[in-house]
Amino acid sequence: MAPALVLARGVSSWLVRRAAQAGATLAVVLVLLFVLMRIAPGDPLTRITDRPLSPTEIAVLRARYSLDQPLSRQFASYLGGALRGDFGTSIEYGRPVAALIAERLPATLLLGGAVLLVNFTLGVWLGALQATRRDTLLDRSLTALSLTGHAMPSFWLGLVLAWLVGVRWRLLPAAGMENPLLDPSAGMPARAADVMAHLALPALTLCVVSLATTMRYQRRAMIEVLRFPYIATARAKGVPERQVRRHHAWRNALFPVLTLFGLWLPILVTGTVFVESVFAWPGLGSLAAEAVGARDYPLLMGTAALSATLVVVGGILTDLAYAVLDPRVRVAA
Amino acid sequence: MSWLDEAWAAVWRRRSGRAALIALAAIALIALAGPLLLPDPAAQPDIIGGASLPPDAEHPFGTDQLSRDVLSRVVSGARVSLAVAGLAVLVSLTIGASVGLTAGYLGGAMDAVLMRLVDAGLAIPRLFILLLLLAVWERIPLPALILILGTTGWFGTSRLVRGEVIRLRHEPFVSGAEALGAGRRRVMFRHLLPNTAGPLLVAATLGVGEVILLEAGLSFLGLGIQPPTPSWGAMILDAKPVLIAAPWTSLFPGLAILTTVLAVNLLGDALSDAFDSRVP
Amino acid sequence: MIARRVAPVCAVVCALAIGHASAQARPPGTVVIVTGQYPGSPVPTAMEGPQSTTANQELSDQLFLRLANLGPDRRTADERSFQPALARKWERLDSLTLAIELDPRARWQDGRPVVANDVVFTFARARNPKIAPKLANLLRHLAEVTADGDRRVIFRFSRAYPEQFYDIVFHTSPLPSHRLGAPTDEIPRDFIANPVGNGPYRITRAVPGQFIELTANPDFLFGAPTVSRVLFRFATDAEARMNLLLSDEADAMETILGLANIRRVATASHLRAITLPSSTMGYLLFNQRDRADPSRPHPILGDPVVRRAIRLSLDRQAIVRATFDRFADVPYGPVSQLLWIRAGSPKAERQNLAEARRLFASRGWTDSDSDGVLDRDGVPLALALSYPLTSEVRRQASLLVQEQLRRAGVRIELARLEGAVWNERRSRGDFDIDFSSALQDPTPSGLTQGWSCGGGTNVAKYCNPAVDSLFERAISDPAGGAPAWQAALRQIEADAPAVFMYAPLNIYPVSRRLRDVRLRPESAWLQLWSWHAG
Repeated sequence: MAPALVLARGVSSWLVRRAAQAGATLAVVLVLLFVLMRIAPGDPLTRITDRPLSPTEIAVLRARYSLDQPLSRQFASYLGGALRGDFGTSIEYGRPVAALIAERLPATLLLGGAVLLVNFTLGVWLGALQATRRDTLLDRSLTALSLTGHAMPSFWLGLVLAWLVGVRWRLLPAAGMENPLLDPSAGMPARAADVMAHLALPALTLCVVSLATTMRYQRRAMIEVLRFPYIATARAKGVPERQVRRHHAWRNALFPVLTLFGLWLPILVTGTVFVESVFAWPGLGSLAAEAVGARDYPLLMGTAALSATLVVVGGILTDLAYAVLDPRVRVAA
Repeated sequence: MSWLDEAWAAVWRRRSGRAALIALAAIALIALAGPLLLPDPAAQPDIIGGASLPPDAEHPFGTDQLSRDVLSRVVSGARVSLAVAGLAVLVSLTIGASVGLTAGYLGGAMDAVLMRLVDAGLAIPRLFILLLLLAVWERIPLPALILILGTTGWFGTSRLVRGEVIRLRHEPFVSGAEALGAGRRRVMFRHLLPNTAGPLLVAATLGVGEVILLEAGLSFLGLGIQPPTPSWGAMILDAKPVLIAAPWTSLFPGLAILTTVLAVNLLGDALSDAFDSRVP
Repeated sequence: MIARRVAPVCAVVCALAIGHASAQARPPGTVVIVTGQYPGSPVPTAMEGPQSTTANQELSDQLFLRLANLGPDRRTADERSFQPALARKWERLDSLTLAIELDPRARWQDGRPVVANDVVFTFARARNPKIAPKLANLLRHLAEVTADGDRRVIFRFSRAYPEQFYDIVFHTSPLPSHRLGAPTDEIPRDFIANPVGNGPYRITRAVPGQFIELTANPDFLFGAPTVSRVLFRFATDAEARMNLLLSDEADAMETILGLANIRRVATASHLRAITLPSSTMGYLLFNQRDRADPSRPHPILGDPVVRRAIRLSLDRQAIVRATFDRFADVPYGPVSQLLWIRAGSPKAERQNLAEARRLFASRGWTDSDSDGVLDRDGVPLALALSYPLTSEVRRQASLLVQEQLRRAGVRIELARLEGAVWNERRSRGDFDIDFSSALQDPTPSGLTQGWSCGGGTNVAKYCNPAVDSLFERAISDPAGGAPAWQAALRQIEADAPAVFMYAPLNIYPVSRRLRDVRLRPESAWLQLWSWHAG
C-alpha cells in the first residue's frame, strides 16, 4: 500500500528525467564508440579474407562503403539513418544490420532468458537456504560446488558437456539451435521440443558458471540482514520466523540480486560469446564479437547501441525496484 | 585503522581463516620460489615424441602439445596470473567502493552524474579500450594491462555498493552518526563502508577467478600476456583443441585457479565474519 | 524435498533425449555437411571484398555450373585438359581468340535454356571494375566477349598467353541474364537469397547463421543428382564442428586441422578420412625494408646471407612432423600442394647448424659476449615474429621456430596479434618476420602477386628482376612453361626472401555411410551430386 503511493507520486517526473539522461548517455556513448572504432588499429577491408585484396580493389570497396568520406560526414549519415530506423549495412554480411540483429534476437532471448530465470529462482533460493543454514555441511558444500562452477571457463565446461552428453552418450544435441533434418511442417510441440533439447546444454553451462555469483551475493546479503536489530525486535515481538523472513529479511536481501539483474541485461548481448561459439548457438554475443574482430563498423555500432540501451534500461529498472522493495527509499536520482 | 587490526585478529582466530591465510601463503611461496626449483617452462625437449604425454614420474602433470612440462608451466604461470588478478581486483574494488559510496550516500546530482558515467563505462566494450592500446604499444606492458583491467572492471561493483548504501542510509546507525555531527566522509568510510563490506568481499572472491579467465580471453586475442610466458587462463585456452584428447593440459591450470578462488573465498568469509561481529 | 523438485526436471530431460535420438535418423539420399562459414552471397560476380570467401564459392558451385572444369591434373595452361561443363566444346581460332559452344541441353532451373547472351551478360559484369574489382583484375587481358548466335561465344584477348581458357572458365560462372536487369545494376537481394542457377541444386530453405537446405535439380545437365537433399550446417568453432561430426549429426566436414582432431577421426569407427592437396602454404616472410624507414633496407634481414643462415638454422621437417604428422611436407619455393609446378622440384633444404653459424660469422654475427645470442657491433640478433591469433597451426609452429632459433643464437620475440591488427601491420610493412599463409589458386601465375617486384601483395618488397622475367617467360610459354617455373623457384630459394615452412594436405572426414565420395581440391563438394548416401 505505502510503496504504491510513493511510487505514483514522484515516479512520472523521475521517469522523464531518467529517460532524458538515458538519451544523453546513449548519444555520448555512440559518438565515443564511433570515434574509438576508427582509431583502433585494423580496417574492415584489409583484415583477413581468404585471398588478400589488391590496393585497387580496396579503393573501390572503400568508396562503396563510404569509408573514404570524412568522419563527421560518416557519423552524420549514420545518425540520420538510425533515426529513420536504418542502421546501415553490414560490411561483412552485406545485409542490413537491423535484420541481422532481429534474426539473432530470439536465440539470444531464449538462452539469456533461461539463464536469468534459473539464476533468479534457483540461485536466489539456494543462496537464502545457505544463509539460514549457515556453516552447516549443506552451506559449505554448496559454496564449494558453486565456486567450482564459477572457476571453470565457460568454453571448457561447454566442450566437456558437449562431448560427454552429445558425443559420448548421444543424449542431447552437441551443437546448433535446431535440427535441420526436422520436417518444417512438423507441429509446434515437436519444434519446441527440438529447440529445448538444443538449449539444454548451453543453458546448463551458463547456469553452472553463473549461479555462484547469484548465490554468493544472496547468501551474504541474507546473512547481513538477518543480524539486524529490527529482525531481533520482530522475533522478540513473537512474529513467526517465516513471516520475519518473508517480510523483513527478503525485501532487504534482494537488493544485491536486483542490482545483478540490471547488470546482467546487457550481458545477454555481449557476454555469452564463448558458450555460443562452442555450441554454435546463433545468438547476438557471437555476432557482436565477430563484428569487433572484422571491424564491421555498422554492425558493431548496432550491437553496441543495443547493449548500451540495455545497460541504461537495466539501471532504471534496478532503481525502480529499490523503491518498490523498501518504502523508505525514494526513487534514487 | 583499528578495525584492520581487529579484522586480522578475527581472521586468525577462526580456523577457516587460518587455513585460508596458510593456503594463500603457500600459493605465493610456490609462485615465487617454484620456478627456481623446476625445469625451464619454455623448454621443448622432444616435440615429436614427447608431446601430449599423460602424467608420469618424469612429468607429474604431463606434457602439452609442444612437449613442455605442465607442472613447470603451472608454477611459473602462478606469478603472472596471481599478480594480474590480485592487483586488478584491488584497483577495481577501491574505485568501485569509493564511487558506490559517494553516489549512494550523497544522492542527487552527484549520484546522477556518477551513475551515468558508470552506464557509459558498462556500455563501452572493454575489448575496444584494449584494442586502442594496441595503436600505441606493440605489446601491452603488464602494468598497463593490470591498470586497464582494474579501471574497466569497477562499474558493477560500484552499482552493488551503491545499492547497499541506498538501503542502509535510512538505518538508525547512520542517522545516529549524523546526529552526533559526523562529517560526510566519516559517515561513508567509518560507518557505511564496513557494512557494505559484504558485497565487496564477494566481489573480491568472484573477481579473482573472473580476472584470471578474462586475462586468458585477452591472451586469446593477442591483448594479454604474450607467449611463451605462461598464465593459467592462457594455458587452458591453448589446450582447447586437445581438451578431450589430453585433459591434463587444461585440468591442472584449472585446478590451480580453483584452489586460488577457494582460498580467497575462505579468507573473504573469515573477514565477513569479523565484520559481522561488529554491531551495526 | 530436493528429490521432489529434481524429479520433474529429470523427466523432461529424458523426454528430450529420446526425442533427440529419434530425430537424428537420416533418410536415404540426404547428406549433412558442417562448415565454418555461412555463405551469404553465393552468386557469381557478387563475391567481392568481404564476400570473396571459400564458403561463398563452394555454395555457388552447387548452384551455378562453370563453362568447363579443371582436369584431374589441374594443368591450367592446357585447354585440352579441361572437362566440359556448360560448354560442350571449344576451339582456338587464333592466338588471341577462343570460341566456346554451349551445351544445348543446359537449362536454368526455371526451364529457360542457357544461351550465349547469359555469358556475355556475366562477363560484362565481371570485367567492370566498379562492380567486380577482383574479377576485373583477373580478366584484365580479356578485350571483348561477343555472342555468335544462340550457343556460341567468342572471346578476344589483348595478349597471347596459354592460360586464356583457364581465365575464361575458372573465375566466374554464367548468370541468368533474363532474370537480372542491366549488367551495371546491383543484383537484387532476393536473387542473392534465392538464386536461380543451372547447377545440381537449388536453395530451398535457409536459416541465416545456422543451416542451408539444398534440394536436387532433376533437370541437371549431367543427370538427376543421386543425393536428393543436402544440408549445410554452420559452426564457427572448430571443436563444435568436430562434436557434430563425432555425434553423427553430420556426415562430412570441411578440412580438419590439428593432430588431435586427426586422431579423433581415426579412432571414430563411423568415419574415414579423405586427403586432398591443399591450396594453403605457410611461410616466414622476411621484411626486406627497415620497419622504421621503408626507404632503407632492413638492418638485419636485408642481407640474403643472413636470411639463408636463418633458414639453415631451422629443422623444418621436425616442425612439420610435430604440427601435421605426415599430412604436410616442406615445400621448395612458394608452392602449395595444389600447384602443378611442384612436380620435379628438388627437396627442401635440411637443417645445418654448423653451416648456419659459418654464414652468420661471415657477416660479422658472432656471440662475442657469450650470452647465447649472436651480435655484431653491440647490436644483438633479435627479431620479432608476428602471427595472427586466428591460426592455431601458426601459433604452435611459431613457438617451435622461436625455440629452434634460440638454440642457433637468434633471439625471437613473438608478437601474437589480433587478426585485423596483424593484417594492418603486415600491409604497412611493419614487421620483421611475418608468419604468413597463402591460399593459392590452381594457376601458378598467382605467384606474381606476392613475389614479383610490382606484385599487389608483395608487402615485404622483395624484388629480383631476374625472377620477374622468368615469371614472364613461364606465363607466356605455350608449352606451359615448366622449365621457366622451376628456374624461378630455384632463384627464389637462392634469394631466400622467406622460409617456406609447410604445404599441407586437406583432410576431410567423411561418414562411412556415404559411398562413391569424390572430392575436388579446387572446390571440395563439386561432385557431391554423384555420391550415394545409404
